[in-house]
Amino acid sequence: MKNPLLSTPALIVAFATPALAVEKADVLDTYADIAAAKYADSLATAQTLQAAVNALVAAPSAENLQAAKDAWLAARVPYQQTEVYRFGNAIVDDWEGKVNAWPLDEGLIDYVDASYSGPSDENAFAALNVIANPTFTLSGVEVDATEITPALLEETLQEADGIEANVATGYHAIEFLLWGQDLNGHGAGAGNRPWTDYAAGEACTNDNCDRRGAYLVAATDLLISDLEWMTAQWADDGAARAELTADADAGISAILTGMGSLSYGEVAGERMRLGVMLNDPEEEHSCFADNTHNDHYYDGLGVQNIYLGEYVRVDGRLVSGPSLADLVAETDAALDAEMQSKLSVTMMSLGQIKTAAEAGFAYDQMLERGNAAGEALIMGGVNSFIDQTRSIERVVTALEIDQIAIEGSDSLDDPEAVFQ
Amino acid sequence: MRRTILALTVLMAPLGAFADTASATIKDIIDGHILPRFETLAAQSQLLAATAEQDCDPTSDALRTAYGAAFDAWVSASHLRIGPSEVNDRAFALAFWPDSRGTTPRTLGALLSEQDPIASSATDYAEVSIAARGFYALEFLLYDDALMAAGDATYHCQLIQTISADIAVTASDILAGWQDGYADTMLNPSEAGTYRSEEEVLQEMFKALTTGLEFTADTRLGRPLGTFDRPRPTRAEARRSGRSSRHVVLSLNALQDLALLLTGDDAALSETLTNRFDRALQQIESLGDPVFASVSEPKTRVKVEIIQTSIDAISADVSAQLGPKLGVTAGFNALDGD
Repeated sequence: MKNPLLSTPALIVAFATPALAVEKADVLDTYADIAAAKYADSLATAQTLQAAVNALVAAPSAENLQAAKDAWLAARVPYQQTEVYRFGNAIVDDWEGKVNAWPLDEGLIDYVDASYSGPSDENAFAALNVIANPTFTLSGVEVDATEITPALLEETLQEADGIEANVATGYHAIEFLLWGQDLNGHGAGAGNRPWTDYAAGEACTNDNCDRRGAYLVAATDLLISDLEWMTAQWADDGAARAELTADADAGISAILTGMGSLSYGEVAGERMRLGVMLNDPEEEHSCFADNTHNDHYYDGLGVQNIYLGEYVRVDGRLVSGPSLADLVAETDAALDAEMQSKLSVTMMSLGQIKTAAEAGFAYDQMLERGNAAGEALIMGGVNSFIDQTRSIERVVTALEIDQIAIEGSDSLDDPEAVFQ
Repeated sequence: MRRTILALTVLMAPLGAFADTASATIKDIIDGHILPRFETLAAQSQLLAATAEQDCDPTSDALRTAYGAAFDAWVSASHLRIGPSEVNDRAFALAFWPDSRGTTPRTLGALLSEQDPIASSATDYAEVSIAARGFYALEFLLYDDALMAAGDATYHCQLIQTISADIAVTASDILAGWQDGYADTMLNPSEAGTYRSEEEVLQEMFKALTTGLEFTADTRLGRPLGTFDRPRPTRAEARRSGRSSRHVVLSLNALQDLALLLTGDDAALSETLTNRFDRALQQIESLGDPVFASVSEPKTRVKVEIIQTSIDAISADVSAQLGPKLGVTAGFNALDGD
């Protein structure tokens, strides 16, 4: 408003052109800009975590452990909002397991309670305990782990023996190293690792404090380099942005694929409903830190802010632009209103879970057998995610971007020969 | 003006014809495919519960036969994850698999060692984790070397009877849900209803087909296949009761029936799909391996991979030809997560 005279002609021009079409390319630019901002925020908050972790290992104390935990919790806020970039963008999916793999058999990494089930039919290395064992045999190969490095974690331990539950890197490995196992079952309280697990000399508890510190530092360093890489992919000349914008319809389809798949199959299904049905306190996304209510909340927020084309950065700045909502409104205003309303309902139900958890009713308590109030809270979130997915499907239909090329089957080899 | 009218007429004609065909297709699928499957499931599950009341010995022929017949009925309906089966987690309570973290044996083991009194009634048992309910849990109690003999014998017997009774209640609730409302919901889409149009109903049915094919290829076959370097024969579905390959056959039979009903009077597409299904079914028969143990041997493993490829080829035809014919796409399904 500094120069009202100057803006007036612009307004006139705007009104004079009634068919101001929302361009798909502009919607994709906003989506990519928000990705760049979210991953940059994830990186910045992870760097704060790194400083806190280094301080903890250099000068172990209860205060420094708490500071590292606080930094981890803050780092999750922007990261969870990036999960909506999964499923639609292959480059994100190929990378995501390194930073956010879950659930994990934490006995691979460090000591666990006697109640932990040990090696299982599914995973022979579920209780490997790398921190206590400088050398061990993995799938017939002798491994030298005397020095715990990012390369050891990434190349040897992550998904060891081809098993996804062998999670050696990422947020949840770090979470385990900061909090330890949550041994409270369905009772109140998160993991309660003593700070002395990182103490030097006589004060060290549970042995191998130096190796535990080395593991924590290596895992955090790796998280930083992984986030740096992904942030670069969304820069102006980044590969993720180039892939997304190569074809406008495919790009819009990628946005909707991410919104729908995260809402339905992943969060509503794998992460929320399954936990309720199994009544298993380990079936929560952040089971060590008891931060699951926030994981779901920020996943939901990520879906909503992608649709609206508005993301508030961790420093409060707004990143916004032409949005999918604008595009849908132009095609079918009623459908846009429906979509926005569904997204709001989801945020309300996820907010109810979050506020109850923050007031003392932890997510693992909600999962307990026979806890009707907890089940109702979680199922409220599940049902609203499912309901919003139906509207996302309607958006796919309305925008007519559903006819993604499907490879024909003519090129398949003739398989009959093998049976003859 | 004349040209406009002509264009409108041309546009309207196929739409009108489509509406008639669509509503006939929907009715055929509900009456000829969905309802009979849930009727059989409810009846066989009742029989299973009654048999278990008479004889709870895990090695009993009568019990194992009744179990097999009820499980067959479930697998033949397992792609119909629609409406009543999704209320109160009923489908999950009948069938929790795959169980990648070994939750079923762990939960059953805890119930047996604690002699948890919740197993004294089917009504209470509905509160229990889905990992210890349904056909896959019952398989452990009937066929797993350790769990078929674990715990106190009287409690073990009661657990088999209660799980069987719980299955029967769940199956009968699903059938009632279809008979007492959901069939009508699908037959009469409306702006305020679950389905706004016949296209949305057809999309739901089409999705049952595509998701069912995906599950059979990627999970029933994909889990035991693992990778070439690390095959996972112990991950085969219901291998303890020797039913892994049988489930692929049952599911393909059911999916073929649904696919052909959706295809309607399109003879060419019908023939293409029939050939595709027949080929996959012949390949399984020729494999002759009830639990996919052959995935570990490179020479025989390739045959299992080819069966998977054949099912993927059905999916490709369904997406490329049947979907556009119906005017629908698969949308999102529960397998979309990771």
